[in-house]
Amino acid sequence: MKSTTKSTRWTAVAGLAVAAVFTLAACAPPGAEPEAAPTDTTAEGNLKVGFISPTTGNFAVAGQEMVDGWNLYWDINGNEVNGVTIETIVEDDAGNPETSLTKAHKLVEQDNVDVIVGPLIANTALAVAEYTASVGIPNLHPVAASDDLTQRNANDLTVRTGSMGGSQANYPGGQWAATEGDYKTAVTLCADYAFGWESCAGFKQGFESEGGEVVQQIWFPNTTTDFSTYVSQIQAADADLVYVATAGGAPGPNFLNAYLGLGLDMDNLLLNCCASDQGTLRTMGDQIEGLKSVSYWAEGRDSEVVTEFVDAYKEFSGGKVPGAYVAGGYITASLVASVLEESGLVTGEDLVSAITEYTFEDSIFGKVSWDDYNNTVGPVYIREVQKLDDGNLYNVPIATIEDVDQWLGKDPEDALAQPTYSQTFQG
Amino acid sequence: MNRRRVLNLSLLGALLLVALALPYIGATSFVISLTSTILIAGILASSVNFLAGQGGMVSLGHAGIAAASAYGVGWASRQGMDTGVQVLIALGVTLVVSFIYGLLSMRTTGIYFLMVTLAVGMLVYGLAFRLSSVTNGENGISGIARPEWMGTYWTFYYVVLASFVLVTAALWVMGRSPFGASLTGLRDSESRMRSLGYSVPAYKLGAFMISGLVAGFAGLLAVWHTGFVSPSSAGVDRSTHLIVMVILGGIGTLLGPLIGASVVVLVENVLSSYVDRWPTVLGLIFIFVILFARAGIAGSVGKWIARARRRADHRPPGGRGSPVSEAVSDSNHSEEMNRKDLP
Repeated sequence: MKSTTKSTRWTAVAGLAVAAVFTLAACAPPGAEPEAAPTDTTAEGNLKVGFISPTTGNFAVAGQEMVDGWNLYWDINGNEVNGVTIETIVEDDAGNPETSLTKAHKLVEQDNVDVIVGPLIANTALAVAEYTASVGIPNLHPVAASDDLTQRNANDLTVRTGSMGGSQANYPGGQWAATEGDYKTAVTLCADYAFGWESCAGFKQGFESEGGEVVQQIWFPNTTTDFSTYVSQIQAADADLVYVATAGGAPGPNFLNAYLGLGLDMDNLLLNCCASDQGTLRTMGDQIEGLKSVSYWAEGRDSEVVTEFVDAYKEFSGGKVPGAYVAGGYITASLVASVLEESGLVTGEDLVSAITEYTFEDSIFGKVSWDDYNNTVGPVYIREVQKLDDGNLYNVPIATIEDVDQWLGKDPEDALAQPTYSQTFQG
Repeated sequence: MNRRRVLNLSLLGALLLVALALPYIGATSFVISLTSTILIAGILASSVNFLAGQGGMVSLGHAGIAAASAYGVGWASRQGMDTGVQVLIALGVTLVVSFIYGLLSMRTTGIYFLMVTLAVGMLVYGLAFRLSSVTNGENGISGIARPEWMGTYWTFYYVVLASFVLVTAALWVMGRSPFGASLTGLRDSESRMRSLGYSVPAYKLGAFMISGLVAGFAGLLAVWHTGFVSPSSAGVDRSTHLIVMVILGGIGTLLGPLIGASVVVLVENVLSSYVDRWPTVLGLIFIFVILFARAGIAGSVGKWIARARRRADHRPPGGRGSPVSEAVSDSNHSEEMNRKDLP
């Protein structure tokens, strides 16, 4: 009994103390609160870059490749351009948006970086872009493919530098299939989340704009390993063309194994960027020679800059051919270098406008420029897997569609007014 | 005993003072916002800790409740509703989701409870991922602004700090109430409580609603902190992190969740800048705690201090609470864990 009253008394005392402390806190606003000092502190001739990428966790391979591409450029060309030294701080976000945001805060508030590059995954990219815009720091995206990054969530400080939107990159694929490919009907198999919905929407709209007909759309969860049921559905759909979009990684090879294992014809296949990236080529080997895909990146393109990049990466990685993630990091670095070469040290909105007003004539993607929403406008390649002289498999372009923008033949206003793509809305 | 309580209370007071003074003593905005992250994670872990410590129900789905509340705010803000309505919607969503969780899990115990909460958590994740007209799919909802009066990073920090203190105090009081005692009874022996005439499922549902409410509140603070919500905040790895926080800190201790949250958040956000293999470090810390400090950091430190003091006092062996009897008697151990005044 005694101990009960005692504990009640203690509770009361503790409660009072807490209340008192809070009253005090409420009365006294902090005197000195240093608002995040922006970029003025940067020394002349020094561009500080914060690079956020998932180098651990589920997306570690892609994340590391993106960082490698960025570093590779500076390794080859030196990290000094036009008197400006590039200093990079790499931070790992493990593909987690909250961590990504914390890292962005750290880079901006503690390290005083001038620009943030990355991150990789769509939701992390959107979260970081929102924050960097609010503090006036430019944000360059080497890989993130989410349409909304340069559409509904577009802002003056966010630029997609090393990739295209999900629907943008696949729209020309649909057009090509319906015209030059001469396919009349198609069945699509896409990953069942935002990137897959966007890719499929791009393909479908392109295909149908040229008179093709998509007879069935099938969706698979990202975690699918056994694609045989989906392949049966594809067989049952009996269309001229099968379009497949994955987000990279295991689904590409898994699908191809199931598809080829049932003895189906590879000539009727059109894959997206990531289902037929270098990872898939290395896994599947010679049996997929002749496989066609559509992407903004073609490592087998006959061009001096591409050869230089591919050779350098092969040396760096012990013989591997670079995929789209490495290319995204590399082109972003070369773009920053070109802009600095032309305009000297620029930061903040000046850096963004210097990039978006720039036309990158001979990038590894080809001729790339930027639209009013800071998205890339550039070539899209229809590619075919070929074995080149060094014994490696490459995606070699067999057709090129120049100056592809993100509006799929619509007015920007109309495009922005539609709902985001989903299973049920494909444009 | 009394001396110990004074010590604990003054320790708590000192901690609170440091926390209050933090913005004044030159902590940068990054440090403050990281501390807010820790406190919010601490609140969420407290909600798991309440269920696990008090009721013996380990939930693997609490991230789902917090995310549901965050999505409530996000959706409302996308519709252009004002803050009051946003909070009401978050509350409503939290109550509904917690009720569903509770309803489905109230007749289960142990591993089955774990599986049911895991399943419902995955359901929330799946909805967030697939129901893109409401949740914007994998891209998540961004640009969710917190109320203007807590706009600056330090006012928000004080709001979070106050929330943490209030929630911790409320859960402490709840644990000491007759309701809390009944929950402890449920944890120790469900059949005994049933034969005494208690409605076991009703108590479990009630406990889940309380815990869910706290989790939802944490979700609201989290979305105000980051201005962003995406399916990954409902993911199973987030729920697992919460369990890790609770076990690291010490199940059933007052400040265990905060200590666990600090360790996890700091490893994830600060150590990862210096060590590439930070997930390994987190794993090693966890294994170390499981092997050598079963009662968690808060629990074990308290135990070690008590043991050291006993040794210093040269108490004769074999008395109550000596190392020998402690190793043998399990009930003694659970009583130790039960002592809520451990920091």
